[in-house]
Amino acid sequence: MSTAKHRMRDKKMRNQPINVTYSSQGSSHWRNGGGTPTGRGHDLSPHPWGHGSSHSGHAQGGGWVRGHQREGHGGYPQALPTHITASAFAKARAAEVNAMLMAVTKTTGSSHVFGGLPKHMRRRAMSHNTKRLPCRLRDMANNMAGQKMKKEQSKSKSRKARRRHGNMLLEFNRRQRKNLWLETHIWHAKRFHVVKRWGYCLGDRPTYKCYRACYRAMSSHCLLQDMSYYCCVELQGPGEQLLAALSKCVVPAGPTFAAAMCVSGRRQGSVVVYRAGQYPLQPLGPVTFLWRPTTQGRGGQEDQGSQGSTHRQLWIWAHPTMKTDLLPELQAVCQCSEAVLPPAPVDLPVPQPAPTPTLAPGPGAGPEAAQTSGSGSKRKWSSREPEAAGPPAKKLLGYSTISATTPVTWRSSTTGIVISDLTMEMVRYRLIGPLSHSVLTETLAPATHTDATGKSRPSPFWWPDHCRDDCNMSLHQQQAGVFNMLRGVYSTAEVPAGSVLGLTVDDPRLTLPNKRSKAVTWSYGTMPSVVSGVNEERRRELMLKGIPEPLSQSSLWDRSVRDNVTHNKMTDQEVNRLRNDVLVPGSRLPTPLQGRVPVLLVQQSGKSQGTEMGSWGAGWDLLLPKAWGMAFWVPLVYRGVRIGGLRMSLKHTQNKGEPHFPHDYPDCPAGARFQEEQEAELLAKFRRRPPAKRTNYIKHGCLAPFRCPWQQLVEEWELIVKEEEGGGGEDAVVPMEQEVTPPQSNFTVLRNRKSLRQLSAWCRPTSSKCQRARNPGSTPQLNRNVAASLLSSHGGSSLVWIRLSLVTKGQPEQHALVCVPTAEDLQLVRKEPGCTGPQEPLHTDHFKSRVKRPRKKDHNKPGTSSSSSANLTNPSSSCTSALTLGLWPEPLPSVTSHCSRVTLGWVTQGDFSLSAGCGEALGLLSLTGLLHTLLRQPDGQRGLVLLRNPGSLQYRFAKINIEV
Amino acid sequence: SNAFLRRYLLCEVCVSDRRNLSLLDDRAIYTATKAAVARAHGDYGAALSSLGFSVKYLNAHTGIVFLRCRKSHYRLLWSALPFITSLENRGQRVPCFLNCLHVGGTIRTCQKFLVRYNTQQLHRMLPLCQSEAERSEIRKSVLSCTLKKEADDEEEEDE
Repeated sequence: MSTAKHRMRDKKMRNQPINVTYSSQGSSHWRNGGGTPTGRGHDLSPHPWGHGSSHSGHAQGGGWVRGHQREGHGGYPQALPTHITASAFAKARAAEVNAMLMAVTKTTGSSHVFGGLPKHMRRRAMSHNTKRLPCRLRDMANNMAGQKMKKEQSKSKSRKARRRHGNMLLEFNRRQRKNLWLETHIWHAKRFHVVKRWGYCLGDRPTYKCYRACYRAMSSHCLLQDMSYYCCVELQGPGEQLLAALSKCVVPAGPTFAAAMCVSGRRQGSVVVYRAGQYPLQPLGPVTFLWRPTTQGRGGQEDQGSQGSTHRQLWIWAHPTMKTDLLPELQAVCQCSEAVLPPAPVDLPVPQPAPTPTLAPGPGAGPEAAQTSGSGSKRKWSSREPEAAGPPAKKLLGYSTISATTPVTWRSSTTGIVISDLTMEMVRYRLIGPLSHSVLTETLAPATHTDATGKSRPSPFWWPDHCRDDCNMSLHQQQAGVFNMLRGVYSTAEVPAGSVLGLTVDDPRLTLPNKRSKAVTWSYGTMPSVVSGVNEERRRELMLKGIPEPLSQSSLWDRSVRDNVTHNKMTDQEVNRLRNDVLVPGSRLPTPLQGRVPVLLVQQSGKSQGTEMGSWGAGWDLLLPKAWGMAFWVPLVYRGVRIGGLRMSLKHTQNKGEPHFPHDYPDCPAGARFQEEQEAELLAKFRRRPPAKRTNYIKHGCLAPFRCPWQQLVEEWELIVKEEEGGGGEDAVVPMEQEVTPPQSNFTVLRNRKSLRQLSAWCRPTSSKCQRARNPGSTPQLNRNVAASLLSSHGGSSLVWIRLSLVTKGQPEQHALVCVPTAEDLQLVRKEPGCTGPQEPLHTDHFKSRVKRPRKKDHNKPGTSSSSSANLTNPSSSCTSALTLGLWPEPLPSVTSHCSRVTLGWVTQGDFSLSAGCGEALGLLSLTGLLHTLLRQPDGQRGLVLLRNPGSLQYRFAKINIEV
Repeated sequence: SNAFLRRYLLCEVCVSDRRNLSLLDDRAIYTATKAAVARAHGDYGAALSSLGFSVKYLNAHTGIVFLRCRKSHYRLLWSALPFITSLENRGQRVPCFLNCLHVGGTIRTCQKFLVRYNTQQLHRMLPLCQSEAERSEIRKSVLSCTLKKEADDEEEEDE
């Protein structure tokens, strides 16, 4: 028997009783069983002194032998007494009972419970999952594994109970306490990978494959996005005061809030906001804004005279990361420090709709029903439920993560401006694509008039009151006419950019088609009579002049109307009941009184810059009052649109050639925050990989694969240029001590249009004919003096946002390096236009040994061999931060001169562009470096740079485009 | 050998003279049983019953023996047990007979039975004691084997 088997057998037999005899001879060494090895001779026979007294033999064994020793240590008398004594008899029995009990109760073999099970009843992974054990052993196993097993889960409600409407709402409300849910959240959660970002739960990308399909939708049909996470800030006050205050926050010579088209309310505008008076430093980010048209038609009679100082209303839409910076700035600019406490949360008297008074059950109805129907013993919680639930759960709407008492409105006593935070007060859907107008015209129908019966008595709903005014009705008819005219439009892009159309529509659930279908545009021949009847002339006028001014008015601007519409929304259940009551199934439902919703349609311009793919990605934004999100979402989806998430909106701006907000604005606080988050995320992902499978970025000569040290870049370029001007005799390598942790980032992104236009012209090869044709001498020729003047006007620490398109193949990635090609590289590409590009020589990783050394030390030290790998830091080395294999430790050496080609900047987003058919990247370059490079490049090859991915050694040629 | 089903016989060796218990060992039991089977069932029966036959446990103090044999032929052994009249060890002959108390399918059931049987014996002894010393001795031993688990066994007895 091998030792392992021996040991196993010993273990198995340790509790079994052994033979008890009086023998003092070696007779018990004989194996019984006729040669079968089943006897238990091993515990007696192998011991060396087995031939001695029985006592020594017994002392070894377990079992009840101990009982013997108590009886007499000096061995047993050879002559036993002839009569039997009760005590000896009893003792012998008792000892035997104990031995047998031990054998019976203790399980053989391993200490697991299932060791006691016969083999054919053992199941795989019984030790991990006690549920695989038979019921009678489960408790024992749980007790044994008690310390390591997780706590037994509290008895949760049954699935049926959990899915009950009230309980589900409670659960949903609990889950959106921390991060806001959009109204379409549940819809998205079923289909999308949802990420928590900026305090919201947002759909990132669908779980199904649709990257190309979404691109096709954007370029030929329609893509829908829920943009409700964009925050709206409302400013109300005298128009002049508002404009004066806001003018401090924008580029002095750029677009402002006061653009004539926008102020009238006909167009939506967009600006980049700065901290007051700080331009060109401290930008906050881009916003879009919308003025409410002046109400001449309705109540304009009283203040016709004082037209200049009318009360104006302005909505500023901003990205949620930016809101934390924007709101205090606006408050400071408008001197709105006086917080207006929100009104006590009084429930608006919800008028019971007359035709369906019994639909909404009373609060107590549900629990009572549960109590009577539930048998009590079976579902014990059902009796407890009413107390736990308290008042029936209400669906959370709007900005639910802040408490009800937090002020969202601020007033100024001096300027009379009121700022209110309308976050989540409205739903904003974005439709992208040339057919978005068809989708809209199919989904929405202008509101029908109410009959005259309601005219006498006041109605709880807003629409009958609204209808009473003839001005409103004529306005509504005009709006409906323009909206119907949109049907004849060939592409969304034909409507002027930023046009705003106010509208009141019927509840789109009433016209929900039975099947999902694809909205199409009508070609001119097959247009139905309704549309073709519309004058062709009028349509052309609409396209040329845009939507006339008064039609941009909408009741959505009125808070009271919004609230009224929100509170009186019919639930889906009620709509379904209406549908059920229709005599002919499938026919159109009668419009109930509360089914009119004011909406705003805002045209979003497509690609406005650059030469190719003009107006790609144009679309409409649909603004709705809150609570109506899903009522519009599903009908839109039924018109065959694709749904995109955050990732698709990134691709949208990328293809449009526009900077995307937090990504391409590193000089804004929100952009800086985003970069930090992104770095942490990428770093964590990198560290999750096993070290042998990680890219060694040091060897690839990539200093910062997860972030872009812009500050260091601009400083180094300034030094380089200075040294070259001042003789250039000094050491080119920048000393590291000077640039360690500048106190605050003071680089900016160049946003001056004139300068950008100049740069854009300089970046193109001057030999191209079309270039000359388009720009007949409007920009000065590039030379040293002009460049120096441009540079001095913007300061050295500027970045330029550029678009790069690769000359040959290659797919740029995030954080790819943009480098200056050397003279040889340029010669190479001139000789051989299709060449792939130069290669970076492989770098050596000096840190590799340092990463490993501490571990060895640990092993040598006695007693600390088991210390965790946390102490990777080498106390003797200069850097104290933990070294990660393949990443440069802080502080970084010179980022520009680290590789064989001088670095100009980095790419913020890069991908293969489906619209251009080649790799395209968006990135930022140092202005100093760019001018420096351009000056040294031959005319025919201006704007040619090298691009290298962080995990690759291959440089590829790319062309710079700066589009204004 | 695990593939065969077994029977375990729990037997009590009854001797007329207590002193002879010292001669009791498993080999003596083994040979005596085999001889008895051979006498009762012939060579064929002896050969059949010797397959897998062994003495699993022997307690000379109480005279308890566990015998193991194949289930298919345990009747051969079982029926031969009454014909054992003596055991032979070291040239000495011990007159005795084997009293079969229990037949079990596993050794565990036999052990369980033995626990119950022994405790029963002890409890039965208790009222029959003559002297106080004896009584205390027995009580002590009863208590020593009825510590924790035995409660169940006693309950079983009561039923």
